[in-house]
Amino acid sequence: MSPDILDEAMEIWFGPQHVSAHGWATKLTLVGDYVVECDPNAGYFHRSAEKVLEYKNFRQGSLVLERMCMLEAFLAEYPYVAAVEKIAELEVPERAKIMRTIMMEMSRLHSIQFWWGQFNAELGFFTMALWPWVDREYSLDAFEELTGSRHTVSYSTPGGVKYDFTDKVLKQLDRAIKRFEDRLPKFRDMQMGSPTFRARTKGIGQYTVKQGLKWGLSGPPIKACGVPMDLRKDAPDPNLAYNMCDWEVPITENPDHPGESDALDRMEQRFKEAETSVQIIKQLLPQLPEGPIIDPKARAKANRLPEGEAYARVEGTRGITSLWLKTQDKAQTAYRAKIRGPCIASYYALKDLVPGAKFADFIVIFGSLDPYPGWWDR
Amino acid sequence: MGFFSVLGDIYQILKHTFRQVFMRPFTYFFPFEDRIYPERTRGRHIHVRKNCTACAQCVRACPVVAIRIDKEDKMYEKDAALYFDYTRCIFCGLCVEACRFDALFHTPVVDLSEGDRDDLVYGPDKITTLDRDPLEWRGRRFR
Ligand code: SF4
Ligand code: SF4
Repeated sequence: MSPDILDEAMEIWFGPQHVSAHGWATKLTLVGDYVVECDPNAGYFHRSAEKVLEYKNFRQGSLVLERMCMLEAFLAEYPYVAAVEKIAELEVPERAKIMRTIMMEMSRLHSIQFWWGQFNAELGFFTMALWPWVDREYSLDAFEELTGSRHTVSYSTPGGVKYDFTDKVLKQLDRAIKRFEDRLPKFRDMQMGSPTFRARTKGIGQYTVKQGLKWGLSGPPIKACGVPMDLRKDAPDPNLAYNMCDWEVPITENPDHPGESDALDRMEQRFKEAETSVQIIKQLLPQLPEGPIIDPKARAKANRLPEGEAYARVEGTRGITSLWLKTQDKAQTAYRAKIRGPCIASYYALKDLVPGAKFADFIVIFGSLDPYPGWWDR
Repeated sequence: MGFFSVLGDIYQILKHTFRQVFMRPFTYFFPFEDRIYPERTRGRHIHVRKNCTACAQCVRACPVVAIRIDKEDKMYEKDAALYFDYTRCIFCGLCVEACRFDALFHTPVVDLSEGDRDDLVYGPDKITTLDRDPLEWRGRRFR
């Protein structure tokens, strides 16, 4: 590139006012229609969650975590709960384990349904924006029936869960799953069969596994390259029930470019993720045993924790979500908590991924990685 | 793409559209209509002073310090007055969970907007009563 061309370069701030830029701002340097430099800026959504955690007791802490990403609230609050359970050495009843897992998978479904809508709306494909959002309402109905809240669920608590499944909740869950399962092939047809969508995403934002791992990506962006990297299988949590059912890690392997993924593969991966979640929920629902949903001593035990350190992680919708918690002896609050959201990696991956792409493709690349601002501004 | 496949597509679209036309609308004409909320809905609280023992567990449980307790203000033998600040409350349900004397509950009333910020601090007279039935179908359907 000759220096003259760079003289004409133009800097554009993408966000924070842009409609699809809720709480993030990226500085793009453009030459003509092409991006030559991309500078992601975190900090527009900062809520000092880690500091806030130092002032909340162990039963209140998960509320902060679930507000980090409300789309996957059941999954987001879990690492904190798991860390507290590890330090306090709490036992979780069998029923609570399965209920947690079911709701976490429902949360993953809900998050994917939301993402479909959001991503397709950004691309201008409004049919596939509104259809999944109808199904999302059914998931939300089940959440509301169970916990009394659509997004800020506050469901898991150290030692178990807060609300029991009632018949109505089970009916709602069944309805949401059945409906979604019926419509999934239709969605796939609509989305993957659309020539416009294929043309818009094929070969866009392509990276290799090696690059992806170097950036620290996890979850669907890495599984779309054909790497079966999934915490649910690799490191099954004893307090969850993923090993009680039969499922395979969903991966997408594209014969055109093995070991690499583009935006189209990542869309295909989301379909497979949704199918796997449905499969897991359908297997777990009949296995629900009778019994308590919370360890009766948990409340007293979680009031004051012994000195300790714990690291807990969970496979979130967007990748590995983890939390490191340190407590002092007889502490009522955490001494220090460190959150690792999955999206900080996918957001800063844009720095290497976007240059060379067209400006119009920026939102395709960004959307296909599915970053959520809450996860990088902690 | 032949002529008939285009016709088929159009038929699909029209089928979808017609089905939607005869369905009940998903939205509500909000201030006049309201839906029925589930039983567990975590809306504004109601404080049953008769059962309250002024133990202040709800105050301790609240993560955002939305509750203030006035132990001097007694109506029964050992109760206390509670002030709920709904500019702070995040409707987490921890206070209701903490109360072991059946004195504090959520109600399915979720529309709390007020013109004045101070009106959102519910004093003892407001928090112990419901000004309207939460499950009442208010007004009529407009469509
Ligand atoms: S619902 Fe939560 S935030 Fe609101 S008053 Fe009760 S404990 Fe506090
Ligand atoms: S409402 Fe319940 S928790 Fe709060 S002071 Fe009264 S008895 Fe105690």
